[in-house]
Amino acid sequence: MKKKFKIAIVSGKGGVGKSMLSSSLAILFSKKYKVIALDADVDAPNLAIWLGEIGKWDKIEEISVSSKPFFDYKKCDGCGKCADSCQFNAIKMISGKPHLNPFICEGCGACEIVCPQKAISLKPVNGGKIKTKNTKYNFPLISGHLMPGETGSGKIVSEIKKRAERYKYELMLIDSSPGTGCPVIASLQDVNFVILVTEPTPSAFSDLKRALEVVNYFGLPWGLVINKKDINKTLGSKIDKWSNGRKLGDISYDQNIFKAIASFKPIMETDLRAKEEIKTIFNKLSFNIKNI
Amino acid sequence: MKKGKIRKIAISGGKGGTGKSTFSVLLANKLIKEGHKVALVDVDVECPNDYLLLNQKLRKIEKFVYAKFPKLDKRKCRKCGLCVKSCKSNAIFQAPDRYPIFLQELCSACGVCQLICPYNAIHTKRVKTGKIFATCVKKNLWLVTGQAKAGLEETGPVVAQVKKFALDFAKKKDIDTLLFDTAAGVHCPVIQALIGIDFAYAVTEPTPMGAYDLELLLSLSQKLKIRTKVILNQANLGNKKFIEKVVSKYKTQIVNTIPYSKNLAKAYSNGQLLDFKYNLKLK
Repeated sequence: MKKKFKIAIVSGKGGVGKSMLSSSLAILFSKKYKVIALDADVDAPNLAIWLGEIGKWDKIEEISVSSKPFFDYKKCDGCGKCADSCQFNAIKMISGKPHLNPFICEGCGACEIVCPQKAISLKPVNGGKIKTKNTKYNFPLISGHLMPGETGSGKIVSEIKKRAERYKYELMLIDSSPGTGCPVIASLQDVNFVILVTEPTPSAFSDLKRALEVVNYFGLPWGLVINKKDINKTLGSKIDKWSNGRKLGDISYDQNIFKAIASFKPIMETDLRAKEEIKTIFNKLSFNIKNI
Repeated sequence: MKKGKIRKIAISGGKGGTGKSTFSVLLANKLIKEGHKVALVDVDVECPNDYLLLNQKLRKIEKFVYAKFPKLDKRKCRKCGLCVKSCKSNAIFQAPDRYPIFLQELCSACGVCQLICPYNAIHTKRVKTGKIFATCVKKNLWLVTGQAKAGLEETGPVVAQVKKFALDFAKKKDIDTLLFDTAAGVHCPVIQALIGIDFAYAVTEPTPMGAYDLELLLSLSQKLKIRTKVILNQANLGNKKFIEKVVSKYKTQIVNTIPYSKNLAKAYSNGQLLDFKYNLKLK
């Protein structure tokens, strides 16, 4: 295994078990390697909960991941070039003056560049938080948080990955967002291996294939985990076959997982079947990444 | 409701996999039974699934979505590097004394590099970033699906285009209610989906994760001034009190609870959700 090995956990569809698996693998790997866990699902960060970490964070830092334009209405002559230049339609001219819709502004700065009166200045705004703590399993957890209404989720992911480089780690686990957009792309950058998580439903399978398109774009090796395998055995086997030998293992559907997490108990501290199943996945994964 | 006005309802929730799409279909079914003409609009453009739940195929493309990406004219470029410095997405890379390289997978298509280039060396090319599909599912029910190109960095603008298309479509077909099924989370594609909406439902589950992400979503809809009510799915599993706490903090209410049901899960999985007998009552 390469030094400073990075694994990203992605899925396309949400709620298929990324964080459950990430948290459990982090605990298992931490017995073997110096692990660092990253919650890169910055607009729905739940990895801490899955690790049973509900207490205070060691450190919370606000960061700026985007800028917003500020208009000097004394200088503005109402020409409207700023509104025309905005590819996101975030500026509207209302009675001759530009008004910003901050929720869709990307902070790109096009308006500032085109303004002939130099009436626009771009200023950084705090849109993200980086929360860190040493978990009770004695590995650090870095969690990225996008403040509601702010943009720049991909940049928060890049930022927490940069932050992680300050630590002496051997293995980094990155729990990504659902979807295939900017936070997922940022999660996948520079990783050595990808774990794709899915469940045997047509939706999850469809999203899995879309996620794989992005993974393949980066040319990354990957393995597959089928969660809730038993809810549809036919489709489960079909996905299994589709993966062409890349499957790392299955996890069974179990309502007790709900109960365990509702009392903040990590799966690895239960006696549930999922615990043994994840151990099997861990063993196969450890073997698979040895030669990467 | 005023005649001619199209009602816009969003279905969101924060956490992924809580049942947004399932609830959207159940709600659509309820509304058509009440005599409404409904279009379900799938604005989870990175991972649209409503068509699978409705047993439809994405066949006929109604419209393509485009964005303008930068393209370098090497004859004019003097390798000054201003474009690299101006790019907030870090999507332009330049090795010393080389031409800049534009990385489309990181590019938000904002156009800043083109504006800043002193030599007019950056042009744009129109690139397809998404597709819009529309099908008539049954009498008085349409499905509009937005699908972003896999690996597209900035999917918010695709959502905006899909919404615009849906609104025009509704006018053409005399549709009175648009249901927008959003992506998970609270980032750009969700914000874009929620803007200009009359009312929203947040679908969640009774777990600490569900509650945490619901709070983020309710905080967003509060900022956007969108009245949002909560739907509690898989209500009999986990623990309801997590959700109740958030709901009371944001002074909203749980208007429906959906218990976990194997049959519902099966109907979901088989694309038979429309035929699933479910009496959806909303407080």
